[in-house]
Order: sequence, then structure tokens, then C-alpha cells
Amino acid sequence: MSDEFDPRVEYRDSVGVVSLAGEVDMLQANALRNLLLGVVRNEDLGLVVDLSDATYIDSVGVSLLFELAERLAERQLRLAVVLPEGGLVDRVLAIVNLGSVAEVEPTVDDALAAIDA
Amino acid sequence: MRSRIAADRLRDLQRITDAALAYLPLETLLAELLTRVVAILGVDTAAILLLEDDDKTLVARAARGLEEEVERGVRIPVGRGFAGRIAATRQPVHILNLDDFEVVNPILRERGLRSMLGVPLLVEGAVLGVLHVGTLTERAFDSDDVDLLQRAGDRAALAINSRLTERERGLADALQRSLMPRLPAMPAISLAGRYLPAAAARLGGDWYDAFALPDGRVGMAIGDVVGHGFHAAAIMGQLRSGLRAYAMDGMTPGEVLNRLNRLLRQLEPGRTSTLVYLVLDAHGGTLDVASAGHPPPLVKPAEGGAAFVETTSSVPLGAARHVDYDEREMPLTPGATLVLYTDGLVEHPGEPLDAGLERLREVVQAGEEDLEHLGDGIVDALLPGGARDDDAALLMVRALPLGDTLAADFPAEVESIPVMRRLLTRWLGETGATAAERDDLVLATAEAAANAIEHAYGLAPGVVELTAWRSNGLVTVAVTDFGSWRAPRGTHRGRGLMLMEGLTDGVEVIRRDQGTTIELTRHVGAKAA
Repeated sequence: MSDEFDPRVEYRDSVGVVSLAGEVDMLQANALRNLLLGVVRNEDLGLVVDLSDATYIDSVGVSLLFELAERLAERQLRLAVVLPEGGLVDRVLAIVNLGSVAEVEPTVDDALAAIDA
Repeated sequence: MRSRIAADRLRDLQRITDAALAYLPLETLLAELLTRVVAILGVDTAAILLLEDDDKTLVARAARGLEEEVERGVRIPVGRGFAGRIAATRQPVHILNLDDFEVVNPILRERGLRSMLGVPLLVEGAVLGVLHVGTLTERAFDSDDVDLLQRAGDRAALAINSRLTERERGLADALQRSLMPRLPAMPAISLAGRYLPAAAARLGGDWYDAFALPDGRVGMAIGDVVGHGFHAAAIMGQLRSGLRAYAMDGMTPGEVLNRLNRLLRQLEPGRTSTLVYLVLDAHGGTLDVASAGHPPPLVKPAEGGAAFVETTSSVPLGAARHVDYDEREMPLTPGATLVLYTDGLVEHPGEPLDAGLERLREVVQAGEEDLEHLGDGIVDALLPGGARDDDAALLMVRALPLGDTLAADFPAEVESIPVMRRLLTRWLGETGATAAERDDLVLATAEAAANAIEHAYGLAPGVVELTAWRSNGLVTVAVTDFGSWRAPRGTHRGRGLMLMEGLTDGVEVIRRDQGTTIELTRHVGAKAA
């Protein structure tokens, strides 16, 4: 709760990497939604969402990831989520089975490889 | 003979100023006074101009025969023209022929005034304004006329001064009241504040504020703007707004002070203010403190002696351009009391500062349980009889220990969720849950609360009740609303229920006529799990 929500965006060739630290919840939902939907460029192959430093994610944050995956799929783009094992965020995304709509990888490099594959 | 007539005139004026006008509103009083001055002196016009707060401008406030002067809001710079010269020199000015004089106010010429006489309105040597009369034909005012007008002016000045003081006092009260915060009601946190105006009813520069931060922690500030009067109060209002804005953006106390320093230097160069800003994580048991030259906070732990907190030494806001305010983290465990104050509370004429500080420490040490009573006790001990030259402010906070059973009410608003999470996190920690068990239950509870907030009340305000208890290694958290049940809207609420079920050992939804309770149960304690 004391972690500041401070999203970072960088591009690795034709893939955007968005790093979300701290809390991904309903209080940030609108700003985050605008950010995530705006970050994908027309020439991109996909998007990586890095949750390595995320400490909390609620059902609104989860739904945002599902919506993102659906929209990317409609454009033949892939979503990869970086998620180290263990911790609350990992448990939450396992419960909702995020793996059914996105590649779930332990590092950013693995995620980039999964999109390129 | 002539002096007897003058004495008659003066008696007329005394009757006007002392009795008949005593209860009239200021504007009516001035108008009535001018009517009488015109009649008694046999002149064609009379006007009163009052000095603005900046001490640089005279503004027409009342007139007879020169009504346009008031209607047009004529403003005369002090030192220039007829009225401006009277205010600057504090001496009567007599003009026999207006043609020979530099006049600022065009209305005097438009009206064809020929001769004029004006006197300063003085109270205790200070200029309040100018009273002047004029004639359309040439008139050589004599010393009796000057004396009479000056006496009329003196009496008018007294009346104006008392009315202004009264009005200022009313405004001061209203302003001060509007700047004193309504302290937030937060579960398991007790807050109390006192503001004591100076005996002279001068508007002071002391203030305090306390508010819930978006992440559920509590922001608290106390400050003292150097100086008095409306200007100091206005600065205090600006600092308070600035502080809240920066605080709400999630800045640390040190960052908040750095920005306030920049803000104050830009808004009011030369003004300074002491300030302490701190963020209380009541449920984490920590305090982040940053101080800008403010007297040190006092802390009384649940067990042990009260002591002043060392803050990193620093200068007041506005005093230096290049200053880096830093914050310090310190523990504030449940049951401990934090006391913030301004120097008006502890500084007394003819007494060393240490004596006042020590008296404050002793009162806090003796420790009234209830913060409101403690506040009364501090004020009684440090400002007995209430007589004081300076204003004083006091702000106290305590994180209350949580019992075996947790029970708290929250407004049914999204902003309540972080507060709820913090409270439950602390309670679960005290209950012996592991970090993972705690995180899971807190998230499940937040989902249950979000559901209640989004669905129970529609757009109407409501309450969400949180209770939690433990028995035989099983923790139950109940989230209750008093609205009407409606199936969850949108897909993420479906996921909310999925998360509640996935993160706990049991989810039960109990629907009643008047509301819904979601009961979450989970085994806690690593062994039991």
C-alpha cells in the first residue's frame, strides 16, 4: 500500500514492455487502462507486461489483463506477462488462470522470446 | 461668541457620533455623519475616504454632494493630490482656489468645487482615512472650521475604527474557522486538535491539518506562518492547500517540504513559516517526519516516558532557496501518543522555552487516556486563564490497540478500501497469521468490500462494516452492507468471487432483508494451515 504506482514503458525492437510496480488495483484502473491500450504501436508484434515488482493485484487489475489479451488477440498480437513465482500476485493470477490467455514467463527476456516465437 | 457657536456645533457632532449613530451599520453611520457635517459647516460637499489595507491607496467610502466619487470607486494614491497629501502629512489641508492645485480626482473639478478643507482620520497616530468638505464658492476656512472638522474627523475615526475592528474580528473568526480542518474519522486511530486564538483576537498564522492519504495512511501537519493578520492567514491557507495537494500525490514528507519551500518563495518572497509534516502508518507502526524549523514533536510510548523527537535540524520554509528537507522514520507503536504543537503553546514571556516544553512533557506523561481530555489538560496547564499574546495550535494522534475482535465501519466508497486493508493487515499480524495468509485474506476482503461498495447502495451513500475474529486457528472476516442484493455487474466482479474462493478456505454469502454479509474463513498460523 505504500508502494507508489509508477508505470514504465520501453520498447525492445517491435515489442513494448510495460513495467508495473506496486499496486495494480481499482484505484489505478482508469489511468492504467489508458496507458496499456495506448502503448501498442501499429507495427508491434505484441506486448510484455512486467509484474516483477508488482505487490498487489485485485480483480479489476486482473480484468484489465484479460481485456488487454482479448484486444491484442483480435489484432493477431500476443500478450506475455512476466511473473516471478511465489507471492500474492502469482497466487492471484494462478487462481484466475491468466495462462489461458497470455504467455506467463519468469523474466522479460523469456517473455520477449515467447512473443517472437 | 464665536467659540460658543463652535461649542454648539461640536455638541451636535458628539450627539451624532456617540449616541444616535452608535448602532448603525458603518456605511449608514458615515453617510449620516456627512449629512450633519454639511449642515453644520454650511458647505456643499463632504466625503470620507478610507485607507486600503496596503496603506497606499485611499478609496471613497461615503459622500454628500459628491456621490459620484463613491459610485465610481475613486482611488487616490497616498501622497498625491488633495486627499493623498492629507493622508501622507497627517495634517489638515486648506485650498482656497482649486485652480491653483494639482488635483487627482477629476470629480472635484467636474462638480465646480472652488474651496476645500480636509483633515486626516487618526486613531492612535495611525491614519485611517481622510474627511474633506468643499464649497462651490470661494471660502476661507478659519481655524475654528479646521478645529471643528478635525474633531468631527476624530470622532468619525473612532467609530470607523471600532466598526472595522469588529468586522475584522468577525472575518477573522470566519476565516480561522474555515481553515481549521474537520479531522478525519479513521478506524483504530484517535485524533484531536485545538486552536487557541491570541487574546487580542488578532488573526494568527498557526494552523494544523490531518487527512487520510489515498493509500490509507494518515497525513498530519502543524505550522506557524510568521506574522499576523489576514495576510498571514491567507498564506497559511495557501500552504495548507499546497501541502494537501503534494501529499495526495504520494510525495514523502521531505519532498512535500521541498515543494512547499519553492511554493512559498514564489508566492510570498520574504515570508517564512515553520512546519512539520508527517505520515503515520498506524498499522505498520511507523511515522515519517520532516520538519522545517518547527519545535520537535512529543511522543509518549504505550509504556515508558514521554520524550521529544529529534528531527533533522532544518530552516523554516521560505528562509533558504537551496535546502533539502529530509524525513526520518521512527516507530509509533499502537497505544503511543504523538503530540504536535506550535510555539505559542510553550513559549511564555519571561520564562525560558525549556520550562514550557518540560511542562508540556509532564502533562503528556501524566497521560489522560482520552485525547480530547488530554487536549483540555494541556491547554489548562500551559495556557492557564487563556491569556496569551500569541495564538497556539495543538494536534494529537494515537493508534489504538486492536482487540481480539476487530470491528470497524467505513463509508461505502472506493477510498475506504486501502484503509480497510491496512487495518486488517495489522490485526492479522497481531493474530499470528503468516505474511502469505495475511495477504490472501486482505485481498479477498478487499474484493468483498469492493463488491459491497459497487453493488449494495447504487449511488446513495452507505456503510460497509468489517468484523474479524479468530477461533481455533480459524479466522473469519465478515464484510457487511445494509443495502440491497444485486447480482454482480461486469466480468471482474465474477473474478472477484473467484479470487475470494481461491484465496480463502470458505466463502459464505448471507443475504438478509436489509443487506448482505460475505463471510470469509481461512485457517491461519503456518502449523494449522
